[in-house]
Amino acid sequence: MGGQKQIPISLKNVSLSFSGKKVLDDISFEVKSGEKIILSGKSGSGKSTIFNIILGFVQPDSGELLFDSEKIDDKHVWEVRKKISYIDQESSLGIGNTLDYLMFISGLKTNLQKEFSLNRINELLEYFELENEVLNKNLEKLSGGERQRIAIMISILLERKVFLLDEVTSAVDVFLKKKIAKYYLNKDDWTCLIISHDPIWLENSSTKIFEMDTSSWAQ
Amino acid sequence: MGAIDIAFSSLLFSFFLLAIPILLSIKYGFGLIKPLLLAVFRMCIQLVLIGIFLKYLFIWNNSIVNICWIIIMVTAAVFSVLKDSALRVRKVFMPVFITFFITIFSVVVYLNFMVIKLNNIFDAKYLIILSGMLLGSSLRGCIVGISYFYKSIKKDSKRFLYILALGADRNEVILPYLKESIQLALKPRIATMATMGIVALPGMMTGVILGGGSPVDAIKYQIMVMVSVVACATATVILSVLVTLKICFDKYGILQMDVFTDSDKNMPAQKNKTWSGL
Ligand SMILES: Nc1ncnc2c1ncn2[C@@H]1O[C@H](COP(=O)(O)OP(=O)(O)OP(=O)(O)O)[C@@H](O)[C@H]1O
Ligand SMILES: [Mg+2]
Repeated sequence: MGGQKQIPISLKNVSLSFSGKKVLDDISFEVKSGEKIILSGKSGSGKSTIFNIILGFVQPDSGELLFDSEKIDDKHVWEVRKKISYIDQESSLGIGNTLDYLMFISGLKTNLQKEFSLNRINELLEYFELENEVLNKNLEKLSGGERQRIAIMISILLERKVFLLDEVTSAVDVFLKKKIAKYYLNKDDWTCLIISHDPIWLENSSTKIFEMDTSSWAQ
Repeated sequence: MGAIDIAFSSLLFSFFLLAIPILLSIKYGFGLIKPLLLAVFRMCIQLVLIGIFLKYLFIWNNSIVNICWIIIMVTAAVFSVLKDSALRVRKVFMPVFITFFITIFSVVVYLNFMVIKLNNIFDAKYLIILSGMLLGSSLRGCIVGISYFYKSIKKDSKRFLYILALGADRNEVILPYLKESIQLALKPRIATMATMGIVALPGMMTGVILGGGSPVDAIKYQIMVMVSVVACATATVILSVLVTLKICFDKYGILQMDVFTDSDKNMPAQKNKTWSGL
């Protein structure tokens, strides 16, 4: 680790097509430790695909991906996944009781050291303005905004330092959007790659924007 | 001892019972007659052939021939499991076959050796009849289990990918699905077992009693069979899933779409290297 700035995520000349259609065309960027970066671009420009590539769900046709300066391959990817907190665009969670699901996650080997205490959970429930009862509800019965906030809570409970957040404020009201964005942006040591159309994420002056359409940093 | 022999001529009388479904079908227009008669015809031919075949198998009573016959039975069973599972037979046949063969064969040999205490543990009667029974009753559970496992991961691939992203390892990520599949596969089995004797008088018992055995003997056999069936059914479901994992998932832990039959892909044309999740 040392003192110098790590580069958690780095894409070098990444290209990918689906059935002949070019989705990612020679994309390169770096995300330095502690940076908050918005991936911006129109629908279908390949934003979610970038996350899928980083997590090893899809492999690019060409180009290189590094995590902590190490190439993400079929072995390293399993370690990479343990260091990333990811929320997908639909906040897909499991099925069944919410608390059971949280316990399932805390029971995964990689998370055994993490503090999934009821205290910590209640603290987060309160911050994100969720009723205690959601814990006893079925995940399938939660509203879109509730599910989104549960996914956010999980991403925090995992106590990881790198976040891939795909439209995590799309289903909540403005007030909550602010609270959620603030939570992530205020953590100086968290590295966040964010996909969102909500301008709220830009209120923090240090947030950088990567334009997918031009494949370059916005000024 | 032995069951009273039914004369072939009298067997014809049992066919008169078919009049019941036939007449009802005519009256209410169920459209059952053709498929019913066809099925009865097929059953008769198959049973007659197998009867003749078994007769010689029992006369020869040759261990090698017996084992070969088990291989044939297992092959047929595995085909029927995979045919209904939406998986490409070509891709996963071998591991599933080996799983079935080893499970069934070792359970039967164990029964013959430890429970029935046969002198020749490869004795045709016991080896073949017990194997057939265990195979037959493991089949349905296995079809349900293995299909549910792969179909549910394919269906909600987002949920699956999310668990992967949480940092689950290869085993952890499939565990919730494996659990659901096994419960689904074994629940009916366990329910049948719980009502056995009251609701259903099982075929094995009927056979032993009609064959001249005492009801107590019949019950002993039945208990042995029921326990072995649950063991085989559980083992074959779990093992079939486990041995196909390596083929069906890539090194990144992603379910490969090309293990499904075309009729079950129902996805837009795309590069075959990815999955249909997004
Ligand atoms: N697994 C896949 N198979 C085939 N096509 C895919 C796959 N994943 C993504 N695509 C296609 O790639 C393109 C980019 O998809 P992606 O989800 O990355 O867009 P996005 O920028 O996140 O859009 P949105 O803002 O609507 O979420 C789309 O045209 C999509 O249909
Ligand atoms: Mg998207």
